[in-house]
Amino acid sequence: MNSALRYLVITTACLFAFAQNGLAGTFSNLTSKFDRSLATFDPIGKHIRAPIEKAIPRLKFSGSLKQSSDMLLEKKGNGGGLAEKDFRFLQLQNLLEVETSYFIDHGLDINATAHVLYDGAYGWQGGTQLNADESNRNNEIYNNSERVLREFYLSYRKPKFDLKLGKQQVAWGKMDGQFIDIVNSMDRRESAQLESEDYEYRRLPTWMANATYYFQKTTIQALYIIDFEHDRNAAPGSPWGDTNLPVTTHNIDLGTSRPKASTFRDHQYGLRIDRSAGGLTYGVVYMYAWDKNPVERVTGRATYLDGGIQKYSLKLKSRHERVHHIGATADYATTIQNVPWIGNLPTVLRVEALYTNGVRVTDSDKRAAALSGASTDGTSKRDTLRAAVAIEFALPARTTFIFQGSWYQTLNHKEGLGPALGGGIGDEWSLIPLVHVSRPFAFSKDRMKLEVTAFPLISGSDTGWGGIKTKVRLRYQFSQFINGEFRYTGYDSGDSGDYYGHFNKYDNVGWELNYEF
Amino acid sequence: MNSNFLKGTLEKHSRLICLTIIASIFTFNSSASAEQTWRTVEQLSAEDKELFDPTISVARDPQIPYLPAEKFPFSAPYTAEEMGYRSASAAHIARWSHSMADVFGVITSSGYLNQGEWACFIDNKTSGGMLGHMYDQPAGEELGRWMLYETFPPENDGAQQLWIPKRSDMETPQKLDFFYYSPSMRRVRRMPEPRRDQRFPNNAQSLDDVMGRDPWEFEWELLGTDVIHESMRFPKTRQSVTVNDAERGFTEVQVSDIKMMGSEFPHYRPDGGVDTWVLKATAKKDWLPDYNEDHLIVWVEKKTFFILRREKYGKDGRLMLVETRMAKHENPSMGDEGYASFMSLYWNVDHDLLSYSFHDNHKVREWSEEQKTTIFTAEFMPREWLFEPMKSQLRVQSPDEFFLRPHRYLGRFPKHRSTSISPEIEARYKLQEAAQTLVFEKE
Repeated sequence: MNSALRYLVITTACLFAFAQNGLAGTFSNLTSKFDRSLATFDPIGKHIRAPIEKAIPRLKFSGSLKQSSDMLLEKKGNGGGLAEKDFRFLQLQNLLEVETSYFIDHGLDINATAHVLYDGAYGWQGGTQLNADESNRNNEIYNNSERVLREFYLSYRKPKFDLKLGKQQVAWGKMDGQFIDIVNSMDRRESAQLESEDYEYRRLPTWMANATYYFQKTTIQALYIIDFEHDRNAAPGSPWGDTNLPVTTHNIDLGTSRPKASTFRDHQYGLRIDRSAGGLTYGVVYMYAWDKNPVERVTGRATYLDGGIQKYSLKLKSRHERVHHIGATADYATTIQNVPWIGNLPTVLRVEALYTNGVRVTDSDKRAAALSGASTDGTSKRDTLRAAVAIEFALPARTTFIFQGSWYQTLNHKEGLGPALGGGIGDEWSLIPLVHVSRPFAFSKDRMKLEVTAFPLISGSDTGWGGIKTKVRLRYQFSQFINGEFRYTGYDSGDSGDYYGHFNKYDNVGWELNYEF
Repeated sequence: MNSNFLKGTLEKHSRLICLTIIASIFTFNSSASAEQTWRTVEQLSAEDKELFDPTISVARDPQIPYLPAEKFPFSAPYTAEEMGYRSASAAHIARWSHSMADVFGVITSSGYLNQGEWACFIDNKTSGGMLGHMYDQPAGEELGRWMLYETFPPENDGAQQLWIPKRSDMETPQKLDFFYYSPSMRRVRRMPEPRRDQRFPNNAQSLDDVMGRDPWEFEWELLGTDVIHESMRFPKTRQSVTVNDAERGFTEVQVSDIKMMGSEFPHYRPDGGVDTWVLKATAKKDWLPDYNEDHLIVWVEKKTFFILRREKYGKDGRLMLVETRMAKHENPSMGDEGYASFMSLYWNVDHDLLSYSFHDNHKVREWSEEQKTTIFTAEFMPREWLFEPMKSQLRVQSPDEFFLRPHRYLGRFPKHRSTSISPEIEARYKLQEAAQTLVFEKE
């Protein structure tokens, strides 16, 4: 048994023991008193929310305070990067969210959401490896209006029509992971540990017009997106920063050009049509968008001297590329009869797919040619396909079982292509057959819930097994206002070049405390 | 007798005398309440015998053979099966189009309190009542649409559920199409229907408790009659509640004034009691394979057949749950079928878990075509539009204000009822009866 697993087993056993003994044994009187005193513990709700809403009846005020921490189980570096990490905490985040909605007139509201985030991982640990806060303060604390004022939009609603104007986020899709959820960019500071339930806090809202028409069984949504936000990947010097980045290069980086809100032709457009028919609901999406990650293009050559010998390097300019996304989504519900030992089995089937046309990728063959003087920008264009099929069962004992097969494919793939939006992960195709099981525990009166999710990764045609991510969560409801969670995330097997294998030494445990008011 | 001696004796033994007097009062009261209120079928009064038809096998409907041939609501004398069908009319969610604030909560034996508040909009797609439920739609078709908007606790504010109840039968067992919108995920997800016989997480209610049970899935037997004097019980710490009356708005009501069948019910006994039929409903194995509940025992009001009390028993014969309810005549146009559940309490005996549900601000509705096609759809949910706020002040403010565990009715119908509970819960129950407030673990 490796050390990570040992930690998990011991901690889980302690929690179980505490819960069982705590509720039914020696400490039950104490926990009973604690439960009753916590039942009405809502200081911000009582002393801030209620007086504000009383003073301004048209204002709705709510929010949450969340503390999230993740701690590495070992400090060893991974194969391709650091020999030893000088930090233990991957995050010590404190997030205050305040949501307000002001009722102007019937069907007309103005909404704002503000975030204040402080991550103590940078300031509370010694060492020098975590320094991404120096290059961008937002890694440690949100310090500009773009991050603090998260959403701000005017909402106009009629029974058959919705219009939202302003800074907002739009979530398309309903699967675990992003398939047709393509509208907003994402703050991916947690890298491989970014989960679907984090998207709400990690999407990067943009300024847009969002109109929806509701017909009888059909809904049409149109998006006109003025603003552009690119994905923020884990920065070098951040806990999840790529430790394999090359330190020096002779290539000349000419920076990144990004789409501009002030340029009409840079704007993005989206369309979504949904329809329901009995047990089946389905929809299609189209988006004329930008690749949210820039691609390096060769703009020319430069020379440099290496030991007195003149050599060539590349002049590289990164820029975002236009893509067409076409997607589909469907789900179907049924009850399977007379399943042995189970009886009737309620079941839902979900499908989502996204085809992306015109994804620009770096091409090592063409870059080599460019270095030799050929006229090429060092990139190729490919189409990609990502799709997922999920089946969810409602099993006895309030147990939920989900299997989701997620497929990522780069069409016309060849060796030497760089990462492609929506394509295989470092290879032609990738498959993640996700398995999720969750159930509450009756001994805790369902306040404690265990969730186990496994994300194995298989890629082809070269890589094969790419490692597995395992997530175990133990959630606990302290009161109707406060909940908490203890979690373990493990990354096992795979090579240092694989998506999960790369984080082989990143097994971590974490906890979260969330107060909603 | 020497007056000084008498005076001295009185003074000396005053405490003992007081206790004796109090004990006598209690003895008198308990003997009054111990007076047998229940009768078996063999002991039925002549009047009740006239209303009861002991026939077990009656003619069946030629189109839907599992239904009786006689059309609902039937006519007296009633068979036990017909009484069961009549009782099914009063489901937890009324079988007509309406809106209401559903305020509910759960409390554990340690005093952990968790509550919710939903604005509920119900569009009934049948002609209403049990008759519409039975005949209007073929199996697999929608019976209605329920749009449920969560407003409390803050964590769930804006979450929504769309329930699409379906007419089910043996070949088409799906009872519900279920969509959930999570504001934190900003996604509508179609969910599997919850298992019918399993309590919801952190609740004592099951899906069938909320949606109602189809009477054709059970064998019905009349056990006798009984008189109920009290169903849900408020603790002594909660003397009044503020209800949101559809006509009068927020109104403070003394809990002692809240009656089991509502204030206008004309059939109360002089002592305030309500006459009930007591029925046993046994789950049919071919209809409900692997169903957790072996049988139910229900107390239904004699005139309206409104269920005032229901007990669930497991396959091992143990008492699983006691449900008590109070009604209000919310839809007079439907006559006796117009009674809806106003308050209900569910006591999960296995876990000593108590859930309550208040249906406040009930309004009978006739939804416009535009409302039907916009509000009651999965696509409406991401709009996070509570188009008509439904406010309520019925939430419990602290664990001490929670409802008492229901009466146990020890000794009633002993051949059919097992009233035994674990010694630990038994002890807690006795302390509760003495204190008239909930008593928690190791208190």
